[in-house]
Amino acid sequence: MNKLISIVFWPLVAIVGAFAFAALALGRGETVSAVWLVTAALSVYFIAYRFYSKYIAERVLQLDDSRTTPAVRHNDGMDYVPTNKWVLYGHHFAAIAGAGPLVGPVLAAQMGYLPGTLWILAGVVLAGAVQDFIVLFASMRRDGKSLGEMIKIELGPVPGSLALVGVLAIMIIILAVLSLVVVKALTSSPWGLFTIAATIPIALLMGIYMRLIRPGRVGEASAIGVVLLLASLYFGRAVAADPSWGPLFTLTGTQLAWALILYGAIAASLPVWLMLAPRDYLSTFLKIGTVVALAVGIYVVAPPLVMPQTTRFIDGSGPVFSGSLFPFLFITIACGSVSGFHSLISSGTTPKMIERESHARFIGFGGMLAESFVAIMALTAACVLDPGIYFAMNAPAAAIGTTAANAAQVISNWGFTITPDMIEQTAKDIGETTILSRAGGAPTLAVGMAQILAQAIGGKTMEAFWYHFAILFEALFILTAVDAGTRVGRFMIQDMLGHVYKPLGNTEFLPANVVGTVLCVGLWGYFLYQGVVDPLGGINTLWQLFGVGNQMLAGIALLLCTSVLVKMKRERYVWVTLVPTAWLLVTTLTAGIEKIFHSNPSIGFLALANKFSAAAAEGKVLAPAKSIAEMQRVAFNNYLDAGVCAVFVVLVLAMCLYAAKISLQALRQAEPTAHEIPPMAQPA
Amino acid sequence: MRLKTREAPPAARAVDANDLQAEATAGFRERLVELRRACRQLIGIPDYESYLTHMAERHPGEPVLSRREFCARAIDRKYGKGGPRCC
Repeated sequence: MNKLISIVFWPLVAIVGAFAFAALALGRGETVSAVWLVTAALSVYFIAYRFYSKYIAERVLQLDDSRTTPAVRHNDGMDYVPTNKWVLYGHHFAAIAGAGPLVGPVLAAQMGYLPGTLWILAGVVLAGAVQDFIVLFASMRRDGKSLGEMIKIELGPVPGSLALVGVLAIMIIILAVLSLVVVKALTSSPWGLFTIAATIPIALLMGIYMRLIRPGRVGEASAIGVVLLLASLYFGRAVAADPSWGPLFTLTGTQLAWALILYGAIAASLPVWLMLAPRDYLSTFLKIGTVVALAVGIYVVAPPLVMPQTTRFIDGSGPVFSGSLFPFLFITIACGSVSGFHSLISSGTTPKMIERESHARFIGFGGMLAESFVAIMALTAACVLDPGIYFAMNAPAAAIGTTAANAAQVISNWGFTITPDMIEQTAKDIGETTILSRAGGAPTLAVGMAQILAQAIGGKTMEAFWYHFAILFEALFILTAVDAGTRVGRFMIQDMLGHVYKPLGNTEFLPANVVGTVLCVGLWGYFLYQGVVDPLGGINTLWQLFGVGNQMLAGIALLLCTSVLVKMKRERYVWVTLVPTAWLLVTTLTAGIEKIFHSNPSIGFLALANKFSAAAAEGKVLAPAKSIAEMQRVAFNNYLDAGVCAVFVVLVLAMCLYAAKISLQALRQAEPTAHEIPPMAQPA
Repeated sequence: MRLKTREAPPAARAVDANDLQAEATAGFRERLVELRRACRQLIGIPDYESYLTHMAERHPGEPVLSRREFCARAIDRKYGKGGPRCC
């Protein structure tokens, strides 16, 4: 019976997928429904899961249910708990899916919907899902060890330390860029800022409720939280319109940057039960709910893809980010295709909760497919917007000016006809004063989502609510990430400082904690602040820096996976990880080196820095800078960015050499040399 | 649901119906408990009842944590070091 279903079902999926791709490919010159895009993606996911992940699970990794997992071996009812595979799937998905898959695809939409879609689909099947699955597998066979520990054990102590430095650097950049997304979304947006600010007292209330009033009653607290959240969303409009309250919540970019830096420092110092945990609960429920709602919304509304398949900006002259399709598309969309950050999650709590080895396929590979689906929906939401609106929201002020009239003229000259009225009407529809230059993905996605969801529920009058709901949903988990990330960064910094001066490494020692927190917040705060004030910086620069770093981490994780396969004497199958490793190294090294050395100042950090410092030395002020001091700051920041980029490049090259050396050694051995827990290990 | 018939139903049948009803309610309640457990595990809170079962099976006689302590410790353990959150 099962066989029969299989014989009928899989060809059907293939046919539907092929049909959807045909609709996308043949729809030249006319708009295509977004449903085809989403359907094509789903077909690819199903087929990849059914066939490729099965191949990896059975042939390459040889998952073996007779081996006990860490959850079974160390079952303590708390940290190590064998968990239902569907529940763990949801838990894992909630941990890997953040703002990343929402931002990258939106930025990449400037090249049209096709390049992004193809990279998301090819990337996730051949690289991203493979990485998540194999890292999860490796950690599961090593008692749930973290990525850093595994690199140390399998590749040696020096690569282990190098990887940690890389992780810290990426963490700093991601915290800065995520905060910048929030700043861009909330600048001069009193309604948005009020609802986000309201999440702080709401989370505190929930935390106190769960800890002191009704211990452990998470359901009650979450219900209260959701109701209050919706109330704040509802009353936000009135607050924003109020003559005395409205201005209080209308902040400039720099004010918001300082507010976030202060928030990060305080939030990361509070007890975790007070704010971090309750807000994480809210954000998890909201995240899963919204993703499902968006998927249903796309199918119900079936909006047309208004963005062209490809735009002329594949040549590298795009206003949202500079650089040609190769290699920059492949670092702009990281999460959704392949994200190095996932290797940290896949070697975190998930491997400690897997019930059976065979579940790793569904959770590791399948979990990444779900994140990729989120990325596809984000891309869809950006591409159902009028391209003129898309560019008005994502191009920097340096390119389109600060008035609707100016922006409309510039964008129409690019070939995307738009009138000032349309820009102003869109802002009015979503209850904002302006939509210009709100780069960073979140606001664009929110407008797209608002248009889709409003067509499904509520009509035009609900659009402003849906917009602010979408902003709330994104800001909520970005703020959680800032809080949790600052803590992780603090522990890593303290760990490193401990090698220099022992007391600083003591995480129970308050002054040492303060030093660690201040250093961590100071580092990401610096990049954030520069991103806000530097007229040429911002998302454009930081997101690419993050992309390079994140893909480098993926490269490192895949190098580990490759070495592990060789050490298991499974070298016949090594192409499974070697092919994506090679592709990632080629694209990210090219991107990294171009970012540093490219002669075009809009791409190369050094070229821009040299241009500005040379002009400053002659006493000339180049637009958009307004003073010599600003000129010097632009130059300094670009030298700094070039330095960070160089660190990533050197790190990954070093890791490559270590992995090659270890793999060659292992090839010469007759027996497996991987450090796995023996198959017959009994409960401790 | 109880059948309303003019004749009194045979005693045995009535008992059966009640049992079925009780079973259905119990099944439903069990489902709810399971759903609640799943929701909690989704956000990373281990199940207290499972912990009690585990302690009773594997470590009988050893002191167990109260619900309050258990929840507090679970949160501290999960978030204590921040835990990397994804991009």
